[in-house]
Amino acid sequence: MDIFRARVRSLFHKPQVESELGKEMRFHLEQQTAENIAGGMNSEEARLAALRSIGGVTQILEECRDMRRTNYLEECLRDLRYAARTLLANPGFSIVIVLTMALSLGANTAIFSVIDGVLLRSLPYPQPDRLVRLFLSVPEYPKFPINPFDFHDYRERAKSFESLAAYTHDDLELSGVDEPIRLSAFAVTSGFFHVLGVNPLMGREFSTKEELPKSDQAVILSNRIWRTRFGARADIIGQKLTISGRPVIVVGVLPPAVEHPGNMYRAVSYGDTVDAWVPFTFEGNSSERGSHFLDCIGRLKPGVTPERAQSEMNDLMAQMAREHEGDRNWKVMVIPLKQEITGKSQRLLFVVLGAAAALLVIACVNAANLLLARASIRQREIALRSALGAQKSRLIRQMLTESLLISLVGAVLGCLIAVGGVRALVSLLPANFPRVGDIHVNGLMFLFALGVSLATGILFGLAPAIQSSSTDLVKPLRESGRSTTSSAAALRLRDGLVICEVALACLLVIGAGLMLRSFVNLLRTDPGFHSDHVLTASISLPEVRYKTPESVGIFYDKLVRQLGSAQGVRFVGIGSDLPWTGYDDNAGGFHVEGETPPPGQFFHARYHMATSDFFRTLGIALVEGRYFTAHDTKDSGKVLVINRAMALRYWRTTKIIGRRMTFSDKPKDADWMTIVGVVGDVKDTPASDGAEPAFWWPVSQAPFSPVEMAVALTGSADMGSMANELRATVRELDPDLAVADIRPMEKVAGNSYSASRFALFLIGLFALLALSLAAIGTYGIISYSVNQRSHEFGVRMALGASSRDVLGSVVKEGMRLSLLGIVVGVGCGLALGRLLASLLYGVHASDPTTIASACFVIISASALACFIPARRATRNDPMQVLRAE
Amino acid sequence: MSRPSDLIQGTLDLLILKTISIEPKHGWAIAKRIQQATDDVLQVTQGALYPALHRLEQQGWIKAEWKASETGREAKFYSLTKAGAAQLKKELAQWERLSSAVGLVVRMV
Repeated sequence: MDIFRARVRSLFHKPQVESELGKEMRFHLEQQTAENIAGGMNSEEARLAALRSIGGVTQILEECRDMRRTNYLEECLRDLRYAARTLLANPGFSIVIVLTMALSLGANTAIFSVIDGVLLRSLPYPQPDRLVRLFLSVPEYPKFPINPFDFHDYRERAKSFESLAAYTHDDLELSGVDEPIRLSAFAVTSGFFHVLGVNPLMGREFSTKEELPKSDQAVILSNRIWRTRFGARADIIGQKLTISGRPVIVVGVLPPAVEHPGNMYRAVSYGDTVDAWVPFTFEGNSSERGSHFLDCIGRLKPGVTPERAQSEMNDLMAQMAREHEGDRNWKVMVIPLKQEITGKSQRLLFVVLGAAAALLVIACVNAANLLLARASIRQREIALRSALGAQKSRLIRQMLTESLLISLVGAVLGCLIAVGGVRALVSLLPANFPRVGDIHVNGLMFLFALGVSLATGILFGLAPAIQSSSTDLVKPLRESGRSTTSSAAALRLRDGLVICEVALACLLVIGAGLMLRSFVNLLRTDPGFHSDHVLTASISLPEVRYKTPESVGIFYDKLVRQLGSAQGVRFVGIGSDLPWTGYDDNAGGFHVEGETPPPGQFFHARYHMATSDFFRTLGIALVEGRYFTAHDTKDSGKVLVINRAMALRYWRTTKIIGRRMTFSDKPKDADWMTIVGVVGDVKDTPASDGAEPAFWWPVSQAPFSPVEMAVALTGSADMGSMANELRATVRELDPDLAVADIRPMEKVAGNSYSASRFALFLIGLFALLALSLAAIGTYGIISYSVNQRSHEFGVRMALGASSRDVLGSVVKEGMRLSLLGIVVGVGCGLALGRLLASLLYGVHASDPTTIASACFVIISASALACFIPARRATRNDPMQVLRAE
Repeated sequence: MSRPSDLIQGTLDLLILKTISIEPKHGWAIAKRIQQATDDVLQVTQGALYPALHRLEQQGWIKAEWKASETGREAKFYSLTKAGAAQLKKELAQWERLSSAVGLVVRMV
């Protein structure tokens, strides 16, 4: 405390401290004088002797000041004032440096917060590292859902897990409270919340008793639903609700913000996205292991690694394969939950962060270069100060103060940019990006910005500071001050910086070029359907009122007929799903007449359902045969439409109309389904390598009806009136039914491009900034060198060199640097290319056209950057230059 | 807070702290006291004394107060702070150890 008070006093009450110091010295002097007089001297002698004994009063005073250690702080303040003044004196220079620093710091900081929220922060469960997801796996389907009875066996036999649970998406309709609403819901086995480490706020979680078929219906509500729909009633446990038409008893309410761990089919996004959970019941024959639809999650015992669990599960699976035919050929894959959630986005985020970091380095190099250039102009000032006794460390400190001031101002602006940038990034993020809700602007982000800005400030300030503080003292002072030249080392350093800048810019431009090519390729690939002027929506028929597939079929039949006759509507189709919106993983279980699957494989295809005009509405081409017609009813012969990929895979030709397949192991004649049409391929996503086999049932003949169906319609009417028509028709048919997700098909399809668009936009933006920074850097060094050599050019032109010669020599100098930079950049690009590979589509990371175009862009930019100062060089009037000597 | 104490600087600090440990003194009195106590062997020059005083004050070991001196003139009196008393103890112990060690060497060798 005393120390603090003394320091504060020394710093802020300077005049007082100073006067006291003087007074103290005078007192000492007087005492000494008095003693001298007492010793027999006369007063004048005594005073002089006292003065002599003290020595240099000023030195003592100065030393005392030093001891008070105010000098250091004072010097810093003075440096800061000086730095601010020099920056303000050159507003153009300062704005360029500060803005580039701010932009690149802002970009890095914003991307860092996304990475922090998505990748760094641990999942919101207790001991999240022990949570794993389990999948079945064959080479064709590396991640396949799990069969209920297989799961049952796992739960009983596996020893690696403290607990295991399975769950599957099962949306529900809650009625009887206000108007009916759809609940995002999952059917879960007992112990699901125990695995997650979540204890119900009230009540209990499901027991194994509730897993038995036809047991009492129970439901667990999310905290959100309990608050919003039931007013947080304390007596909710034991209440009877009507859910999907059945009486159900509330057995539990969860604490707030329980995060859904993600699921595969009809994925519900991560986070607090689920409203209710019901018990999963094990129905059917436990020896049938063919149907796979469960998501599985487990909590490892402490100390058990996912690898060990996986090898145990594989042993277990081999054991089970001896007991059940359906379990043959499967491997089990155990993936840490966090990796499962964030794995796919990791690469994208790191590539974008890498691009931002490259931009930051370029901005630093640029700032260093500009500071170096300015330092060489200030050489005389620095030499003079060194000659007057300024210490080298003092000069370095002063120059570092300047660069730190720049980077800190940059950091403050950068944080503002980052705050906006995080919001922009979140809105730009690809569809289905994990953990978007966890991305926040927080203290860590500002700490990151501060840390990076300090590091960069020192980084780009140190080189110029050391360089200029070690200049020769005599030469700059002796010369007139107009035509000082930098030392060879200084020039080499600056050349190196420009090369580095150009190389990084080249790298980013190549990256952006590859992203652009991929994006264009994606847009150019024939999607297999057309999306313009197609309106889509989602309808789900509650099971209560639509109990049988027949009643569902009748409803859709009416909807199609009524809507199809509306004015301006040409085609209306109903389908189980829209292209590029995911697929049902439940793909096997059928037999093809007269064919056997390749050894070790099984027949598999994507399941879909469609009405007759679904293909026409979406423009999915007919390759062979026919689409469904109104004559394909539940009573007519069973028919199928398959895609070309399936025809080629299992029949090796598309001429297969009339061939049959069945889902029954011992088919009667009525169990066979006849293929009546082959349609064109639609891939799972636009970036998929090829289309997977797929088939469609007519909605009227489908063996089950999915919770949710997609409606698509097209016609001459505009989207708005088609949407109104759709709503009106549905209301007319069933006033309690909601029409959800009304959007143009273009938007649905656009979501599939969003990852590619995200990467293209950001890397393109960074490349553009990098390009301009590199151009500024090249411009800076060339125009500096032109100023330095104006005398030389004057002489050469006076001796008869044409302005072309001068122009050529200047441009050559600049191009030498940028060509070196390009060589380094292309080299790095080739080496780093494979990091990008997973983000590319239809273009190789070492694509020569892209690299050549990137080089061309860089060369043009640097040629322009050289040309402007070179022109200035030729405009010098030789006479004037020489006279000025 | 502790600075590397070479013999000279450390010793001067010790002398100053010890001198003002009994009662507050002004700079001149401190110098005089040291001179007298050591029979003029140690003469602290003003050039060393005042910077040391200011350093010790800055370190929080001594505090200063303006008071009337014996002659009636205002003088800056220095006295020990709590931290200073602790520091004095430490330096004394260190000094004892050092001097006895040096003494041993001088006598033995």
